[in-house]
Amino acid sequence: MRTLSLAWLLGKPSRGRRGPLLLTAGAYTLVCALVLIVTAGALSFDRVQNELTGMYQVLAALAVVLLVVPLAVLGAAAARLSARSQDTRLSTVRLLGGTPGLVVGITMLESAATALAGALGGVLLYAAMAPAVGLVHFQGSAIGSAMWLDPRIIALVIAGVVLVAALSGAVGLRKIIVSPLGVRNRTVTPKPRWIRAVVVLGLIICISLVFSVIGSVASLAIMVGVLLTGFAMGIGALNLVGPWAVALIGKAKLKKAKSPAQLLAARMILENPAQAWRQVSGIAMTAFVAVVGGSGAALMNSTGTGMDPNSPDALLATDVMTGVLLTIAVSFISVACSTAITQAAATLDRADLYAGLHKLGMEPAVMERARVGSVMAPVIGMGIGSIIVSAALVFPLAGMAIIFAPLSVAVILLTLVVGVLAVRGAVAMTPVSQTLAH
Amino acid sequence: MIEAHPASGNTLNTHPVLSARDLRRAYGSTLALDGVNLDIRAGESVAIMGPSGSGKSTLLHTLAGIERPDFGSVLLSTSAATPRDIATLGEKERSKLRRESFGFVFQSGLLIPELTAVENVMMALMINGVPRAAAQEQATQWLGALGLAGMEERRIGQLSGGQAQRVAIARAQVTGARVTFADEPTGALDSATGAEVLSILLNSTVGRGNTLIMVTHDADVAAQCDRVIHLRDGRILAQVAATQGASTQRSAAGDTN
Repeated sequence: MRTLSLAWLLGKPSRGRRGPLLLTAGAYTLVCALVLIVTAGALSFDRVQNELTGMYQVLAALAVVLLVVPLAVLGAAAARLSARSQDTRLSTVRLLGGTPGLVVGITMLESAATALAGALGGVLLYAAMAPAVGLVHFQGSAIGSAMWLDPRIIALVIAGVVLVAALSGAVGLRKIIVSPLGVRNRTVTPKPRWIRAVVVLGLIICISLVFSVIGSVASLAIMVGVLLTGFAMGIGALNLVGPWAVALIGKAKLKKAKSPAQLLAARMILENPAQAWRQVSGIAMTAFVAVVGGSGAALMNSTGTGMDPNSPDALLATDVMTGVLLTIAVSFISVACSTAITQAAATLDRADLYAGLHKLGMEPAVMERARVGSVMAPVIGMGIGSIIVSAALVFPLAGMAIIFAPLSVAVILLTLVVGVLAVRGAVAMTPVSQTLAH
Repeated sequence: MIEAHPASGNTLNTHPVLSARDLRRAYGSTLALDGVNLDIRAGESVAIMGPSGSGKSTLLHTLAGIERPDFGSVLLSTSAATPRDIATLGEKERSKLRRESFGFVFQSGLLIPELTAVENVMMALMINGVPRAAAQEQATQWLGALGLAGMEERRIGQLSGGQAQRVAIARAQVTGARVTFADEPTGALDSATGAEVLSILLNSTVGRGNTLIMVTHDADVAAQCDRVIHLRDGRILAQVAATQGASTQRSAAGDTN
């Protein structure tokens, strides 16, 4: 009860907190709407019953699972931003004798309340988007009215978003220290270990073996199964190699840095490669999905020429392509949201430093270039790196897709470029100059 | 340690490097500066003292071009060129002036935590267009001169408070700043480290013929400067020539030689 009343007291939005609060609630709105749409899409596959229904359900479940990771990352980032934007209040609670547990309770309640407000907005957004998304064709017909979910499922999704947000709030708080004298980030930075490289090497060998048998698989269903296995191992490898690869990008940038902004950006990446990786992991995974799933779908489409376009196998090929494109789009929206939130928190974290550097005569544009560079260098580096590595891993598949279905491959690449631009737009939402204006 | 600049005055230059006239600055209904007139000579060290809310930091920020006064002028004459009124310059011009002509040492250091000691110092030069290699060389020299040889690659978090302030002093001086502004530079340090840092700050500024303007609460620190200005309610109450002032000490040392 005390936690609830304190959270209510501290949660009143002030002018300085309005921006972060709106950003956080807005992010939850989008996430909730996307989860509802994807869930509706996934459940709509029950409309048609044939021998491939099970396969559709597996693919749909995979798409939903893919969304959980960016949602959790987004929740943790939102909680950190929430705590950061009210650091003085939380510090005062500690100064007045409040326990760390009380601070966690207040933050979890605030995260949950923000998420609830955002999720309710998300339901409205879902309702507004459902008719348009209903026009998308799966299994040979438009999803249509199947986009409308049972209200109990909607309530379940809202509860899920609120729960994940509250839990992420507690997890996000682990990354900062709320002391009676202020809020600061924990400085312990786990260093990427060499053992990761060994595991990744093992995974790469496994993935190559898995994909080497793909040519000898006659059944479409088994082919998709093999693809999924390779895909899961690829994502595992990416997560292990990610921080190390981001650190490599940072080191290369540091060596080549000629301007203050480049030097600062490289050091910001190297400060915490694991955190930089989390911010771009969605991009790398999406690029992997795009190449592996996209190549497979493109190939299935092209080999299906001459097949009855309404046969279950031909429809599956078309639908996998549609699913891959939708997954890329949804994934990029989540990543862009996470980036906007993380950057808002980072800009708040560094507000004093930015103001101080401005006093020393550093142009806000230099700080801005450094900030943008520290996000976009890993995004572009990891995006291109993932495409190359993924294409190399499934070389026969990707090579054949380029030859037999160049248009499909071009569409996928274009979607990736648009996604990267969306992330760039998200970075621009919290400019350094905004901090200086305060 | 930095050697005293050969040209540094045992006698102070009478030419004012900064002249403030009728400075006024209000925050809402509170007058932070209320008709301040002040001349600061080249090579002089000046301490600004006063209770909290007396306008010390506002005066420092206004003289440094960080803030613009509501009324009045701040003439800067660091070279043979016509004096410039800082108060009339736009945001970009004032930023340029700050990074090219002024040095700053603040209580919190304001060093960039992600950068190493040498990178923090060379950043000041690189912002002014000095190539990275040359900037690194000069920054390394300055760190060595301030007793930080061998610590160039350490991150700010790996340095003690006194060492971090030395890095901040090196960053303020590496560009050859003619005027250095310091806001409670020893405020976060213990007395022994504070005395050491102050000595380095004085030697690397007035000791080289440049000007130091410092806000402090500490009368012992202020006594090390040539002149102490007492502020209250945005007005100058008194200006006192300190007996232990840096230039006076150097004069005394010169007389005995």
